[in-house]
Amino acid sequence: MRATGQPRVLPLLLLCVASLATLAGTQPGRRKELSLNEKVDQLLDWNAKRSVIKMNGDKYRTFVKSAPRNYSVIMMLTALQPQRHCSICKQANEEFQIVANSWRYSQSYSGRLFFAMVDYDQAADVFQSLKMTSAPVFIHFPPKGKPKKADTMDLQRVGFYAEAIAKWVGERTDIQIRIFRPPNYSGTIAVTMLFSLIGGLLYLRRNNLDFLYNKTSWAIGALAVVLAMTSGQMWNHIRGPPFMHRNPQTGQVAWVHGGSRSQFIIETYIVMVLNASVVFGIVLLNEAASGKGEVGKRRIIAIVGLGIVAFFFSLILSVFRSKYQGYPYSFLIK
Amino acid sequence: MAASTKTDIRSALTNHGGWTSLLTFCILTLAWVAGFSSRLFAVIRFESIIHEFDPWFNYRATHHMVTNGFYNFLNWFDERAWYPLGRIVGGTVYPGLMVTSGGIHWLLHTLNIPVHIRDVCVFLAPLFSGLTAIATYLFTKELWNGGAGLLAACFIAIVPGYISRSVAGSYDNEGIAIFALMFTYYLWLKSVKTGSVFWSVCTSLSYFYMVSAWGGYVFIINLIPLHVFVLLLMGRFSQRVYVAYSVFYIVGLILSMQIPFVGFQPIRTSEHMAAAGVFALINAYGAVQYIQTFLSKKEFKTFFFVAIVSSAGLVFVSVVGLTYLGYIAPWSGRFYSLWDTGYAKIHIPIIASVSEHQPTPWFSFFFDLHLLICTFPAGLWFCIKNVTDERVFIALYAVSATYFAGVMVRLMLTLTPCVCVLSAVAFNVTFEKYLKVEEDETKKVEEDEDAEDSDEPEKNDKKKSLYDKAGKIKKFKQEVPKESEDLGLNIRSLVMVCLMMMLMMFAVHCTWVTSNAYSSPSIVLASYAQDGSRNIIDDFREAYYWLRQNTADDATVMSWWDYGYQIAGMANRTTLVDNNTWNNSHIALVGKAMSSNETAAYSIMQSLGVDYVLVIFGGVIGFSGDDINKFLWMVRIAEGEHPAEIKESDYFTQQGEFRVDAAASPIFMKSLMYKMCYYRFGELQLDYRSPAGYDRTRNVEIGDKNVKLSVLEEAYTTQHWLVRIYKVKDLNNKVKVTEPHIVSKKRKSRYISKKTKKIRKGSIKNKPTIIKGRHPSKTRSKSRV
Repeated sequence: MRATGQPRVLPLLLLCVASLATLAGTQPGRRKELSLNEKVDQLLDWNAKRSVIKMNGDKYRTFVKSAPRNYSVIMMLTALQPQRHCSICKQANEEFQIVANSWRYSQSYSGRLFFAMVDYDQAADVFQSLKMTSAPVFIHFPPKGKPKKADTMDLQRVGFYAEAIAKWVGERTDIQIRIFRPPNYSGTIAVTMLFSLIGGLLYLRRNNLDFLYNKTSWAIGALAVVLAMTSGQMWNHIRGPPFMHRNPQTGQVAWVHGGSRSQFIIETYIVMVLNASVVFGIVLLNEAASGKGEVGKRRIIAIVGLGIVAFFFSLILSVFRSKYQGYPYSFLIK
Repeated sequence: MAASTKTDIRSALTNHGGWTSLLTFCILTLAWVAGFSSRLFAVIRFESIIHEFDPWFNYRATHHMVTNGFYNFLNWFDERAWYPLGRIVGGTVYPGLMVTSGGIHWLLHTLNIPVHIRDVCVFLAPLFSGLTAIATYLFTKELWNGGAGLLAACFIAIVPGYISRSVAGSYDNEGIAIFALMFTYYLWLKSVKTGSVFWSVCTSLSYFYMVSAWGGYVFIINLIPLHVFVLLLMGRFSQRVYVAYSVFYIVGLILSMQIPFVGFQPIRTSEHMAAAGVFALINAYGAVQYIQTFLSKKEFKTFFFVAIVSSAGLVFVSVVGLTYLGYIAPWSGRFYSLWDTGYAKIHIPIIASVSEHQPTPWFSFFFDLHLLICTFPAGLWFCIKNVTDERVFIALYAVSATYFAGVMVRLMLTLTPCVCVLSAVAFNVTFEKYLKVEEDETKKVEEDEDAEDSDEPEKNDKKKSLYDKAGKIKKFKQEVPKESEDLGLNIRSLVMVCLMMMLMMFAVHCTWVTSNAYSSPSIVLASYAQDGSRNIIDDFREAYYWLRQNTADDATVMSWWDYGYQIAGMANRTTLVDNNTWNNSHIALVGKAMSSNETAAYSIMQSLGVDYVLVIFGGVIGFSGDDINKFLWMVRIAEGEHPAEIKESDYFTQQGEFRVDAAASPIFMKSLMYKMCYYRFGELQLDYRSPAGYDRTRNVEIGDKNVKLSVLEEAYTTQHWLVRIYKVKDLNNKVKVTEPHIVSKKRKSRYISKKTKKIRKGSIKNKPTIIKGRHPSKTRSKSRV
């Protein structure tokens, strides 16, 4: 590995490196000779191309691990290849890119801090040398010395939102990064699309606007909002719970969260359906009593409606009981 | 009523109106009695005391008002809170609650009934629950019919979603505000229906009472304009609505600005702008309609276009300009967090830390509303299918209130009345159809509270001619008798029995929830032994009473803000921070003192003039709501203001856990909070099976069993160690020189180096010398490689 250096070729090499960033690592030999300034220049050069520098084993050893450094490196160890099935890596990567971009285009941008990333499938040796077995991991390499324990970001606790990363970077390096999120136009576009669609439909049907006066569709819309809210969809939106829980040992699937303070997404859907069924049952009961038509048919409808109301209400009650230990009452179903 | 039945029984028996009024009267009275008595669990189990935290402040303010008079209360500057800042209480409080109970107290004393103001305060909320039931009855009667109204009154009297804020002793704004809310809505419906100025002015007066009582009045001042706006869009706008709204808006605006705490907010904050916008809109609409009568169609078209564009532009520019110039305040944080649900979590830890501001899981909806949560969408369905001006209002109310209740647990309270009303509608419609014909079969299930429910349908058909205003139901009336025999007695009674069973379950659930979940005063705890005997833990009052008796009158007590109101109310001592969390940086300072080490904390305590420090420690009895469990919020809030000194990550172990045992982070073990909680706890062995110093709340053996305090001394610890009070030592008159001078200097220098290592390094780093000094290490490491 310790090939002799070729200092004179370096400017040329730099050009190559700049253009073929991924191939740069294959150029052996100039590592040892790189002085501090050259390293910084090199990194700044890469940084001009992209705000997160992709590293492989060689580059990692040259620019991150070896000694003469006056800059901090924030490195993300990740596994972005689709076959790794690391969905969290993608989200973490997006947030990391936001931080890196915020730093790259900030007023105080300098060669003091670089953002780098290592993909497991391109540089498994880096993972081995750092004894990392999981991804994503954020590590801070201080200007001198080795990373300490606190230099690995605690994703479990603080999460990986760009703000949290920036705060952690600020703690470790004393460089404050103001997060600038690229404005998310997708919401605005969706709303505009929706409105233009509605507007277009209204325009197309301008001769026949009766459907606006259709009470049933308005009633269904209102019921949808009410049912969604009372089944805790807003809680899901804010807290982001898992869809359901699968016990890794036994493979058992839990659809209902055992505690009263929490819930799974599927559980809220179940509750929503149960609530809607009770409502449907009550409406059926009323249709049966007031409708015109065959008596036998209406009797059956009334019985069905009553059955739906009683059955689904007791089902909700039993789901409720399973969440609240010691609740004494039940109806039809235990 | 009773007199008339006596005088002419025969005519009274056949007089439907008389029977209906009598039944209505009886049912409402029974609902009141049931609602009142089911709120008395706490009083019967414990005693007649004020609960929790905020009620203590309200009680203290009421007491101050009763002793010093109303005007002194309005000008009250409380120097005992937020020391050394103080708090202008008169201008930062909704006085409706105090005035109401003060008024009742005055009335009783004028009648020579000597009641202590505390008892008035304790029983105010249960008393008002009856008034709420009546207001709900009136509201539902306007909306649907009297039968539904009675059902709604019975529901709201016992529903846990409302009881949770109105048990005896929970002396808080919400207790009277829900009554004011429902009554305002009732009057609003009345004024929309009649279009009379009288009812609109009544609405404004009731709105004024609501503004004086609770910050939730913003819900009214946004919902009513929304109603008007939607009516406008639906083409249901009329002179009646115009009169009702413009009178209500102007009178209500002027009245609401009379409350000192509200002041000029109604014309300056964004929360109130919707109301102003709708007022401008209906006036413009009215003007356009008027001008239309003069102009030809073509002229009108151009005029309309020009007017719309120019007025919209004018309004937009003026709103933006006024906001920019600072005349209109942008949305306040609490309201903003209702729309952008992630906002509070990131930006305002003090809002996020309050459990009332968490989103609501479905469990809470079902827990608080039980049967009603599944049935009220059906009521909404019937209301929309048979829509009228008023029913538009309840539909909007339902949709918006469910949204808000989903975002914040505490707003469940505003949803509850609407759910009761709509469920009552759903049940009423069903009962009407299934109890219609045979008069004899309707006499059945007469259970305790459900007796009221089962009574209503019986007379609904009689009442119909009086209250029913919906056109569609009248149609049923004509049809049902013809075909009613067809459905058969069996099915009818089956349906009725089944629905009655469910309503009974609802009543039972309500009582159970009230008794188990909402009737704890939380300043007196009760634990149950295995044989069922009850053990009362009265440590809070013990500690506060100790403070009251044994400390100087002007002593200052530092504690976390949760206990500020209680200390002020019960111990009558000066506090640094309290539950009125108006000054975040002051709270952060207390949080910083609690989470830093003794030396740093001492300088903060000295600068704030603290005499005593009070912590809540639940490790002996296993009380989970203690200060160690709240500690991370203190750290977070302190970190928000002092990021250089306090870092949340320092209080976790390397694995990112928050622990108190031997593996706890050293900075946490040195913090004032840890030391105060566990001082001498290592000497206490609670149980033969567990080691000494075993924390029952967190179920671990504590890490530091030999806590030494240097700047504090233990002043008092209650029976179950729940409250621990420490006295802050005075500055030493003269530093004892027991050790050689050099040693103390060395200690000092070592300490500084620990604390400000980074800063010192940083200052040296910029000097060229450090680069010189680095080279050898580099070469050395290289040579080693």
